Amino acid sequence: MTRDDLLRFADSVAKDAAPAAGTAVPGPELHLVTFALDREEFGVPVDQVREIIRVGEITRVPQAPAHVRGVANLRGRILAVVEIRTRLGLTPGVLSPRSRIIVVEIEGRVLGILVDAVLQVVKVPVEAVTAAPDEVLSPQTDYISGVARWNSRLIILLDVEKVLLLND
Amino acid sequence: MTSEDNAFKALLDDYIVECLPLSERIADQFVELERCWRSGEPADELLPAVKGTLHTVKGNSAMMGLTPMQDVAHALEDVCVLLTREPDARGESSAALLVEGGGLLVDLVRTAGAGDGVEAAAAFGQRVRGFLAQVGRNGSAAAEHADRRKGDRRSAPRGPGTEAAGNVVRVDFRQLDTLLEVLGEGMIEHSAVNEAYRRLMRRVGELEELSDLDRAVVALEKTMKRMEAVVMGTRLLPISTVFGRFPRLVRDLAHTAQKRVRLVTSGGETPMDKAILDRLSEPLIHLLTNAVVHGLESREDRVRSGKPEEGVIELRAASHSGRVMIVLADDGRGLDEAKIQAKAEALGLEAAGVDSGNRHAVIFAPGFSTAEQVSSLAGRGVGLDVVARSIHGLGGTIEVVSRPGQGLSFTLSLPLTLAIVRSLIIEVDRERFAVPISHVAETVRAEADAIHEINRRGVTLWRGDLIHVADGGELLGTTERADSPRRFYIVISSGAKRRGLMVDRLIGHQDVVVKGLDPALGHPDVVSGTTILGDGRVACILDAVRILDQRAAGAPSTGATERRMSA
Repeated sequence: MTRDDLLRFADSVAKDAAPAAGTAVPGPELHLVTFALDREEFGVPVDQVREIIRVGEITRVPQAPAHVRGVANLRGRILAVVEIRTRLGLTPGVLSPRSRIIVVEIEGRVLGILVDAVLQVVKVPVEAVTAAPDEVLSPQTDYISGVARWNSRLIILLDVEKVLLLND
Repeated sequence: MTSEDNAFKALLDDYIVECLPLSERIADQFVELERCWRSGEPADELLPAVKGTLHTVKGNSAMMGLTPMQDVAHALEDVCVLLTREPDARGESSAALLVEGGGLLVDLVRTAGAGDGVEAAAAFGQRVRGFLAQVGRNGSAAAEHADRRKGDRRSAPRGPGTEAAGNVVRVDFRQLDTLLEVLGEGMIEHSAVNEAYRRLMRRVGELEELSDLDRAVVALEKTMKRMEAVVMGTRLLPISTVFGRFPRLVRDLAHTAQKRVRLVTSGGETPMDKAILDRLSEPLIHLLTNAVVHGLESREDRVRSGKPEEGVIELRAASHSGRVMIVLADDGRGLDEAKIQAKAEALGLEAAGVDSGNRHAVIFAPGFSTAEQVSSLAGRGVGLDVVARSIHGLGGTIEVVSRPGQGLSFTLSLPLTLAIVRSLIIEVDRERFAVPISHVAETVRAEADAIHEINRRGVTLWRGDLIHVADGGELLGTTERADSPRRFYIVISSGAKRRGLMVDRLIGHQDVVVKGLDPALGHPDVVSGTTILGDGRVACILDAVRILDQRAAGAPSTGATERRMSA
């Protein structure tokens, strides 16, 4: 799925989710791609997502950092694939038919994020976003930029740059 | 930026492209003049030649309105005219003035457009006028020069390459990089097609329709090869683009070291990939500096040992079976065997030297330097290990031969290009890796009783030497161990270092297109890059040089584990 497909899909979802009257003026919204890791739902901004691909062959790179799963062939280009599970303190994932690689592009750098499954592209009102409780956060979790409570769901918002250690 | 600005920038680029080699040639000829006059050779043919070139640079500079360059060229022309007329005025001081002016001209041309240099040019002009006045006949010489100027114009030689100027276009080198990248992708796609075709052949057997496909696949391969040759050809520059700076460098070094040195270069036309040339200059400067400062004896010592006072450094380049060989040889004192022995023992390197069959190879070991005192020129704590490392980093090798009392010579062997590397594909625990062929000395079927263990590390007898044979799975940290025993070992070599590596399968030879390592992958010691194989899978390219650098004491595997745990 390319970014354009994603955006079209998101718009259709947003229309479905809009109030039936359709007259309410919507406030500012976050446009998210959400994905699953274990039983939690995470979201990253859709404008940082280039595409979502099925998991092909991933080649391990000797001595690479633990949170890097390996490299994959993205149409002739080498894509480093980050194992976001270990980065978030979870056990390494087991590949399943639902596994996907979310290809993100930030400031010209292209990286893949391996996730258990991609769930949805959604528009969430900004007012639905709150900070996560202090008690569950630590200096090591600064990649969590907030939590969206929306339609009885709880979406953990990730700061992609921080979670991918792009500034290291 | 307006279009006029762009047009001016383009003209300025053309000016630099044309005039930089010319002014470099001028500066080199002044260095040569200085050397000739000092040793009493007349060098009569040099002055007219250099005057002609100066005239061309002056004319081009004037056309671009680059006054500082024009003035410096003009002043140098005046000095040359005077020296042609007054042979008595030739000597150390006039030569030094010319060399200084030549260097200044090169600097000015190189930075043309920056708007600097007015003061430097004025200061130089001042000194030239002082010199002309001092010689005394300033008025008459300048007048004659002015008279002859009209005549000069006809005889001024044209710059190199002007004949072909109509067929030359300027291309940003990054575009050539992109072209090479696209070519690489084409090659990968071709091998994917080829592989799919072979699989299909095996499945369906001989079919008439398939023979057309077969012809197309073979033809495509030939076309890709030709395209590779053409693209590579566009990236080649003569090695003289690097050598060009050396005459002045050697002259300045010799001046400071109070030695007399002649640099003789040959094979400057030998072509090399610009990407390699860009990284070759620094190691060569290092070796040249060493030769002038340490290799060549002082003038007194040379005379005492019956050698000419003037030392000679030879720099030769030549293409040789797909590689470029560069020899840098001096006629100095050679290596001090006793000192090297002592130093090697102190560093515990003795064994390595003996092993390799070349005891001089120890001078490339880290921390090795026999210079007794740190001089301002060489011996700044940066040893030959850095030179060897950068040469190895280019996929090259460096060897040293010392003849005591007669000289020292280094032989460098370098690939023509970096982007496409002929590699051996190996398989370890179902993972595939590419090893550059230039670093594979041999592939050997591992007989069960051929590998012995010392301190739980594998060793084997290879070509009369005991070498360490590491387990591929251990070195590369494979996750699942294949059940079958490793059936082969490959001998990885670089310079004098060798190490065996046990592998499961040898897949075959392939030209692989080198792709970089994403920064997210950290800095693995054993991997230098990645590539895409014919089946579309990504394989890591092993870094033979750094694998050989690792201590045999199990460092690779434990290192990997520690890294993994700390990450």
